[in-house]
Amino acid sequence: MGWEEKQVHGYSEFVRTAQSYHGRPIFALFCGDKDAEGRSWCPDCVTAEPVVRKELHNMPDGSVFIYCLVGDRAYWKDPNNEFRKNLKLTGVPTLLKYGTPQKLVEEECFKAELVRMLFTED
Amino acid sequence: QEPLEMNSHTPVPRSYDYDLIVIGGGSGGLAAAKEAAKYEKKVLVLDFVKPTPLGNSWGLGGTCVNVGCIPKKLMHQAALLGQALQDARKFGWQFTEEVNHNWMTMTESVQNYIGSLNWGYRVALREKSVTYENAYGEFVGPHTVKTTNKRGVEKLYTAERFLIATGERPRYLGIPGDKEYCISSDDLFSLPYCPGKTLVVGASYVALECAGFLAGLGLDVTVMVRSVLLRGFDQDIANKIGEYMEEHGVKFIREFVPIKVEQIEEGTPGILKVTAKSAKGSEMIEGEYNTVLLAIGRDSCTRNIGLDKVGVKINEKTGKVPVNDEEQTNVPYIYAVGDILQDKMELTPVAIQAGRLLVRRLYAGATSKCDYVNVPTTVFTPLEYGACGYSEEAAMEKFGEENIEVYHSHFWPLEWTVPSRDNNKCYAKIICNIQDNERVIGFHVLGPNAGEVTQRFAAAMKSGMTKEQLDNTIGIHPVCAEV
Repeated sequence: MGWEEKQVHGYSEFVRTAQSYHGRPIFALFCGDKDAEGRSWCPDCVTAEPVVRKELHNMPDGSVFIYCLVGDRAYWKDPNNEFRKNLKLTGVPTLLKYGTPQKLVEEECFKAELVRMLFTED
Repeated sequence: QEPLEMNSHTPVPRSYDYDLIVIGGGSGGLAAAKEAAKYEKKVLVLDFVKPTPLGNSWGLGGTCVNVGCIPKKLMHQAALLGQALQDARKFGWQFTEEVNHNWMTMTESVQNYIGSLNWGYRVALREKSVTYENAYGEFVGPHTVKTTNKRGVEKLYTAERFLIATGERPRYLGIPGDKEYCISSDDLFSLPYCPGKTLVVGASYVALECAGFLAGLGLDVTVMVRSVLLRGFDQDIANKIGEYMEEHGVKFIREFVPIKVEQIEEGTPGILKVTAKSAKGSEMIEGEYNTVLLAIGRDSCTRNIGLDKVGVKINEKTGKVPVNDEEQTNVPYIYAVGDILQDKMELTPVAIQAGRLLVRRLYAGATSKCDYVNVPTTVFTPLEYGACGYSEEAAMEKFGEENIEVYHSHFWPLEWTVPSRDNNKCYAKIICNIQDNERVIGFHVLGPNAGEVTQRFAAAMKSGMTKEQLDNTIGIHPVCAEV
């Protein structure tokens, strides 16, 4: 069956999408928005994205990978934004296994070994 | 890893797979592994939890993180908060509804936190290039362990040195119905339903702490004790703890031992019938409870890890491992730390310190040995008990009753005055050695935040504080510690 990817923008779309896949393993990568040239305001996200994408094939069969753009830099810096408040995110990029305490934050996402461990850990 | 052929004619390989293999990923094992990685050593950590009789298991981190100190303290805190809510009304807070406790909400939060700790350890080991395998390790020959993972796949690894840090598991009574129907601390902190009316069997600190917070959460709790409370601790204090718990709703059945547990009704929880016999005669009693929690002691995990194959001697009666003052077993390349050590205090910080110092001696040329004297500890019963050094009985036995002086005092925490809580229960005492300048050799405090108070006192005791120095230290007011 493999895995599939969903790209979403903003908190509500993220939650709706995650809920619609209830019952399947869900992994999510949260990054800062990209500009017209496809570059994110978040330099660490730019570094992390290719590392994560390279490891996606390690996710268990039937997994869903949600690639979520959180918003612009001002929205992210607001300490009360929904990602911080409800999902307890502390930084971008964050890669997490939805519904578990397992996550990698910021520079941890640069390490292929850790990303692979998150995708394959049971 | 390539499996190695082992037979009695194969010589021990000169180049090993690892510098150090740690068997047991708990407080001692992980601290040692992380320290060894700092010195660029190639380390393998093996951690495997054999499921409880009821099928329960957990992640990397050992007893403390998963089924010990961490969830215990969180649930103790939950119970304290319940008490604080009651006090709050006296301080002017107004809330009219009765306050109820939801076991599932608490347990889910606690387990979530533990999950993040398990994950954190996985990341930490990976980042330090320590290899971790979720597999059961046992010695099969010199310098060699066999690992078996949960799918039954076996591998062999060799190492120059080994550290045994396998810890302990709860003991069962050996009576009909114990493994089928009773739970232990290994099951309690993740129980997926409220335990209800509970019988706690045992008088250890595990038994009293669990009984304490279960009662604090509003449950009907009975403690069945064979003889004394908190054996090994200061008995004067142990009795005060028992009295306090009794006055606050915990029932005690003294000098009885369960002989049979039967299931009356299935369910989550169900109903169990416990038959118990007097420890002093032939009287028998029966009782019905939703849950029976066994907390009668813990046994070292040293009997099934192949120690006989490499010649490591253990105490056959207790399963504990005797080591020298450098944590070395009778086999020079095999070391041990943590709860399995003979005659050492079974505490996380002790295991961590021993593990770290051992590794520094092995790989960084350090000489410091772990100091097991004057280790502070705290029992988180509803009335907390902090202690460091000798109990009154031990001091009298070691130095002679005429050579020690005991100073003591009851105190009434300021925070307890307004809500009219007990005014004569909190208590502190110090035991001094008259022949050595009245040096403080024992410290005991019974009251809120006992752990915080005791920690600082331990540092003073380690520095050799005398009674006079203590008297000359002006107190902070108003805090319990000023006493």
